[in-house]
Amino acid sequence: MNCRKIVKDVLAAGRSHLLEPEAYQICDEFKITYPQFIYISNAEDGVEAARSIGFPVAIKVVSPQIIHKTDAGGVVTNIQSEEQFSDAYDTMLQNVRKNAPDAEINGVIVQKSMPKGVEVAVGGLRDLQFGPVVMFGAGGILIEVLQDASFRLAPLDREEALRQIKETRIYKVLQGVRRNEPSDIEALADLLVNVGDLLVDTPEISELDFNPVLAYPDRYAVVDARIILSR
Amino acid sequence: MNAAGQVKGSLSGLFNARSIAVVGASPRRDKPGNHVIRHAKAMDFDGQIYPVNPTQKTIEGIKCYPDIMSIPGRLDLIVLIVGADECVRMAREIARRRDEKGDVAGIVVVSGGFSEGGSAEGEEKEKAMLEPLQARGIRLIGPNCLGIIDQYSGVNTTFDVPPYNKGGVSVVSQSGALAASFLTWAKDMEQIGISKFFTVGNMADVDVNEAVEFLGEDENTRVIALYVEGIRQGRRFVEAAKKVSQRKPVVAYKSGRTSFGSGAVRSHTGAVAGNDRIYDGAFRQAGVIRAATIAEFFYTVCAMGKQPLPRGNRVCVLTVVGGPGTICIDALLATGVVEMACLSDGTKGHLKEILAPTAVVGEPHGYVDLTGSVTKEKHEEIVRTILADEGVDGIIYLNTPPPFLGDEKLVESILKGYNSFSEEDRKPLLCVLTFGSNVAGLRLLFERGGIPTMEFPDIAAAVMANMIRYSEWRNTHKTFK
Repeated sequence: MNCRKIVKDVLAAGRSHLLEPEAYQICDEFKITYPQFIYISNAEDGVEAARSIGFPVAIKVVSPQIIHKTDAGGVVTNIQSEEQFSDAYDTMLQNVRKNAPDAEINGVIVQKSMPKGVEVAVGGLRDLQFGPVVMFGAGGILIEVLQDASFRLAPLDREEALRQIKETRIYKVLQGVRRNEPSDIEALADLLVNVGDLLVDTPEISELDFNPVLAYPDRYAVVDARIILSR
Repeated sequence: MNAAGQVKGSLSGLFNARSIAVVGASPRRDKPGNHVIRHAKAMDFDGQIYPVNPTQKTIEGIKCYPDIMSIPGRLDLIVLIVGADECVRMAREIARRRDEKGDVAGIVVVSGGFSEGGSAEGEEKEKAMLEPLQARGIRLIGPNCLGIIDQYSGVNTTFDVPPYNKGGVSVVSQSGALAASFLTWAKDMEQIGISKFFTVGNMADVDVNEAVEFLGEDENTRVIALYVEGIRQGRRFVEAAKKVSQRKPVVAYKSGRTSFGSGAVRSHTGAVAGNDRIYDGAFRQAGVIRAATIAEFFYTVCAMGKQPLPRGNRVCVLTVVGGPGTICIDALLATGVVEMACLSDGTKGHLKEILAPTAVVGEPHGYVDLTGSVTKEKHEEIVRTILADEGVDGIIYLNTPPPFLGDEKLVESILKGYNSFSEEDRKPLLCVLTFGSNVAGLRLLFERGGIPTMEFPDIAAAVMANMIRYSEWRNTHKTFK
């Protein structure tokens, strides 16, 4: 019950958003996969972490006050070398301090930079009438523009998750268009099932966003995780 | 058990009532309280009807009673059609009768003036009316509703739905007006027969969920038509509807597609969700067929009440006229679930043999244009040949019936072809006749023969797609018993 403990501690600390490393810990418990990362608090450790993970890497700021990391300048992707790393690290922190001067910075995530995949979004929320609900749709910034999303009540099984995926337009892209290989739709279905279980088992979670989730021919990776709690 | 810790009475006590009292019965023919009596009386009902009105001796020739307590024998159902304050008083009176005589399974409250207005006063009255009933397990339908009809038991509490054809359709509705309109649309052309009519009004006690569960168990109900505006316990609805959908189709129209804003939204998921999208997903998960328009809702119910489900998604458009046939194919393919049937060489060869050289057979796939030269007699063999093709799961037949084909003979010929298959081997056949009221007589003949008719080719396509979607859902949600 690691998950419940994390959630309780966050609430006790007066926060309603999980930090990204905390969100990943919850992912672990529900077999939700994300790119390897190391949580660091200075540039030296960062270089070390990047070396051990292997370039290219991405870095992301971790702050309880910063929910939209990209907007605050708190994300740098595709860092290719140790040299680039130090520059990127300093620049990112400068930008964050400029854009969000009051934000407290807990540290930085160094994460494996992922190759291009089909961007999808997986989400969850607790609806007043329907309870825990799982969303699947087109990812990245497209989701709000295209409104390409379908919903199911949690818990759901794999067959139901597959039907949910098939209702979206992004499904056509996942099947492989032109020369692109088809994505691992079964793995995405498992992800939806697991997110459903997560919502059912953790009533404190009011909303969650995994966006984007990158879909590959043989797996998926959750590359950003946002989990919001209610009291 | 309900909130009061009392076991809820079964709804069948209301639908199978053998005695009905109408409080607010009126001798004046321009009053709803009079129509309730006349409709109840006009039904094939061999139980007792008791008008309650202290100022009258008889109403519509039936002996009148001054109050509830003076009604002799067992009383099953009470209809209230008096002011809201009087309803609250009556509820206490009914409770007293229950305590003394042990009868009254439930009441239908037609009257408004309760929570529907949103006033605290109205809500208070609704609570006050419900409380003594709920404490005794007496069921309440409404208030602010038309009430119920059971075409098999002969119960009718409505003031604006006269007796109807018996059949397999049951209507559940949060709007009495829409439900009554539904029956009226279908009446002249005999497009449906009904089992139960169930308007829930404010749902003070009996709600949509319980109504759907109840109709799921009703053996006379083969199709449930459901009009909803809002469901209070969404999750319970999904669980209930999912069970029912495994046995019989639930066709729904849900209004209120526009969202009224849900406050501050913090996640992408929240921004996209909106209540209606979740309803969409929930209905799909439950196997509920959600119609996009009222026309689609109406015709899907009509068609499912008469026709078997398609076993697959391959549809043949069989037409005598080009334009409507093309419109139909466009609409079928736009649904994303239909495939045009690929007719076998044997089918195509045989059709070419019996049809005029101008006829178009299977070009494009699934399209057969008989052209105007086709005769009534040939329809039998055409219909039989296409239905026998294993690559065809359903037919949409379109015609602007030419006057030189006698109505009866055309219908007879098509029905002969259709009925040459045993019931298990039948496939859905929908009939589109685009000549409006000019072909009312012809449509009635088709409807009586069990073939649903429609006026618009795209509606027929939407109906067929709904039947296919539901059939696919059923196949993946088999109950093993």
